[in-house]
Amino acid sequence: MVKSQHSLMSGNEAMSRGAIEAGVRFCASYPGTPSTEITESLMRSASDRGIYVEWSTNEKVALEAASAASWVGVSALCPMKSLGLNVAADFLLNLNLSGSGKGGLVIVVCDDPEGHSSSNEQDSRFYAKAAMLPLLEPSTGQEAKEAILYAFDLSRRHEVPVIVRSTTRLSHSSSLVNVGPLPQVAPATLSSFPRGLFNVPQPAVKHRELLSKIQLIAAEFEKSSLNKLNLGPDAKTLLISSGICQSYSEEALALVHTKNTGSLGLVTTNPIPTGLIANAMAGVERVLFVEETDPFLEDEIRSQYVGLSTPDRPRFYGKRTKTLPAWGEMSVDHVVKGLSQVTDLSHEMSLHGGLDARARGAKLLISRPLTFCAGCTHRNVYWALRQEKKRRGGQLVVAGDIGCYSLGVFYDETMNTMQAMGSGIGVACGLGQLGRFGFESAVVAVAGDSTFFHACLPALVNARHKNANLTFLILDNETTAMTGFQPHPGSAVQDKGQRRISIPDLVRAIGPDYMTTSDSVEIGPLIELIHTTVAKDGLRVLILKGICRLEQQRRGVSHEGLGKVSVNPALCRGEKCKICFSQFGCTAIGWLPTEKQATILDEVCVRCGSCIGVCPYKAIRQE
Amino acid sequence: MDRLYNVLIAGVGGQGNLLCGRVLAEAAILKGYRPTIGETFGASRRGGTVVTHVRIGDHDLGPLIPRGTVDMLIGLEPMEALRAAVDYCGERAIAVVSTAEVQTMQCITGTTKYPPLADILDVMSSICASVSPIDPVLALGETEYRRVLNSFMLGAALTIGIAPLTANGVRESLTGLMQPVGPNVAAFDAGLKTSVRV
Repeated sequence: MVKSQHSLMSGNEAMSRGAIEAGVRFCASYPGTPSTEITESLMRSASDRGIYVEWSTNEKVALEAASAASWVGVSALCPMKSLGLNVAADFLLNLNLSGSGKGGLVIVVCDDPEGHSSSNEQDSRFYAKAAMLPLLEPSTGQEAKEAILYAFDLSRRHEVPVIVRSTTRLSHSSSLVNVGPLPQVAPATLSSFPRGLFNVPQPAVKHRELLSKIQLIAAEFEKSSLNKLNLGPDAKTLLISSGICQSYSEEALALVHTKNTGSLGLVTTNPIPTGLIANAMAGVERVLFVEETDPFLEDEIRSQYVGLSTPDRPRFYGKRTKTLPAWGEMSVDHVVKGLSQVTDLSHEMSLHGGLDARARGAKLLISRPLTFCAGCTHRNVYWALRQEKKRRGGQLVVAGDIGCYSLGVFYDETMNTMQAMGSGIGVACGLGQLGRFGFESAVVAVAGDSTFFHACLPALVNARHKNANLTFLILDNETTAMTGFQPHPGSAVQDKGQRRISIPDLVRAIGPDYMTTSDSVEIGPLIELIHTTVAKDGLRVLILKGICRLEQQRRGVSHEGLGKVSVNPALCRGEKCKICFSQFGCTAIGWLPTEKQATILDEVCVRCGSCIGVCPYKAIRQE
Repeated sequence: MDRLYNVLIAGVGGQGNLLCGRVLAEAAILKGYRPTIGETFGASRRGGTVVTHVRIGDHDLGPLIPRGTVDMLIGLEPMEALRAAVDYCGERAIAVVSTAEVQTMQCITGTTKYPPLADILDVMSSICASVSPIDPVLALGETEYRRVLNSFMLGAALTIGIAPLTANGVRESLTGLMQPVGPNVAAFDAGLKTSVRV
């Protein structure tokens, strides 16, 4: 046997490598933490391996495109974050019945328990159950790579999409991964387009066919070497875990040094391997389910075994019994605690200094809240909106959505609502009709440029069609800044063969009552533009050209040539005012405690001069 | 190896925290171990808290260090070192902490006060086995400290020792990963020369 090579890879890189080893030729995706690096690392191999990789406008389009590839025999990968699967779900719950093609189709969904970089902490495994599709939950980088290889094989054989579920801890952790050989397959599409890629007139028949496929897959899962049972003959307690939680369970068992507890690590979690589970449970007295984030396995196993009335049926513990938390991330510590609750094991983590020192420490700590970068033009827009809110005595509602500009919720709560991609303009469609019921607030919706293409168009058309009374602000910095500057249809620079779509042209075609494009660096004119626009009636759209300072930095744009910004101490009112640093709050504005005056931190300042228009006393100047 | 060795690196976005973890992991691979790197960060690019967990053992481990089992805490920033100590450290933990504070936005604008350094170190001493404060600005100067703090702190940590690794091994790994190489190796060696008291 050839000695395998290994290297340090993140879970995302390992999954990308697995796809390449499986012969992937097509990848369509939309960026979202923690999934982005799967597609990005595939892009790095794209030209060498002849793989087509695109950032699609949203996850639904990505999944549709990837399915098309698999139908004609081209192996396709479709990675996305948890919330992306919500967008793609409409298609997914039809594709399951139609089936994927001979090329194979693997969907990777990366959940974010705890919501480190997400607006929720949803458990996307329920989509696999809803769509009745095979689901794999690898527990290590190595297993993630193997799971992708197996998923492609499974998908090709059964012509169903296979879902591989990762979580932040797997996607963003690095470990040694043994790599396998790269295939030398020539790209080839089927000679004829497959028939029957629709579910009518009898979706029920298609449903029955899917269930038959799943039955075969269930039998295969029973024997899968991806699942690992580690159980001694005397074991009385069994931990059943999936995904990264498998490593937490194993480590918890090592920490408590117990012999009468075993572990079943499941990777194939839909359909569950009921025979394997029943065998593992035979003879044990209790089972503890360890998973993220919802009781997915727990509920499935509970419901499958509810009919068993054998005397040796174990007692079940998990999130349903409140033995483990049903929210937030799982950890080794949670598992140890849960174990000690259901068994007589007692394990005290040795915490020197104990609770007292920890409590004292916690009191000293102050948080590092998220803020806009120095010179971020989003701050300018929200500053202008704050002024408009004040002018209207608070009678202004800002409906927003997902992007760096979501930080508007932390900026004096200038953004009032924030849910899904594109939901700002959708919510505004409703608010813009409520005048008839006495709702008096002016209505503003906010969206970024990438979000505009992703999910705003149907709502904007709705707003026009129904004459909703609102102002829509498109904050256009020409990049997908939040996830690391991926290009989108409106980006200034486009890859070869891709054509730029103009946001103003698109909006103009919808026919708003008022529309204008403006800069968002200079504060004074921005405040005035927002004020006069909000005062108008009808559907108003402002396209506000912005600048992402990180993206600028990345491109090596220097602000050295621009005039230095400083505070004139003779004009600064110091503690009597504080507007620039305590309200506007650009991170480049500091405070001199002895002089009791504002100052510009030149090493942070990008010399945009936006703060000049913020000072009521004209104390800020630019050389 | 008798047992695994856990290193926690705590700092703020932009300090090269994640790269620091990578250097230790690659050094561990050179010695034949199977390291795991776990990263916790919210919006690291925007100056938030960043913690890197490096776990060195002979088999694959979960990405996060269980509470109380940190062996070495490398603090690239004092308050973040305290935060990590409160969350993860116990009586096994040896802490090496940079005393150069990175103020929060709220501290700069005067809405909150950064905790006194003496209090931070005092509480950390009650939580950890030992705490060694080091002033990187004194050793490297204001400009250089910002560029190569992570390499310097790796050197300082190695004066105490990261059990499975050697200074030469870490230097080799650092040479392959840190840019620019010259100033980083120099900072690492300067770190090795600091007198860290345990």
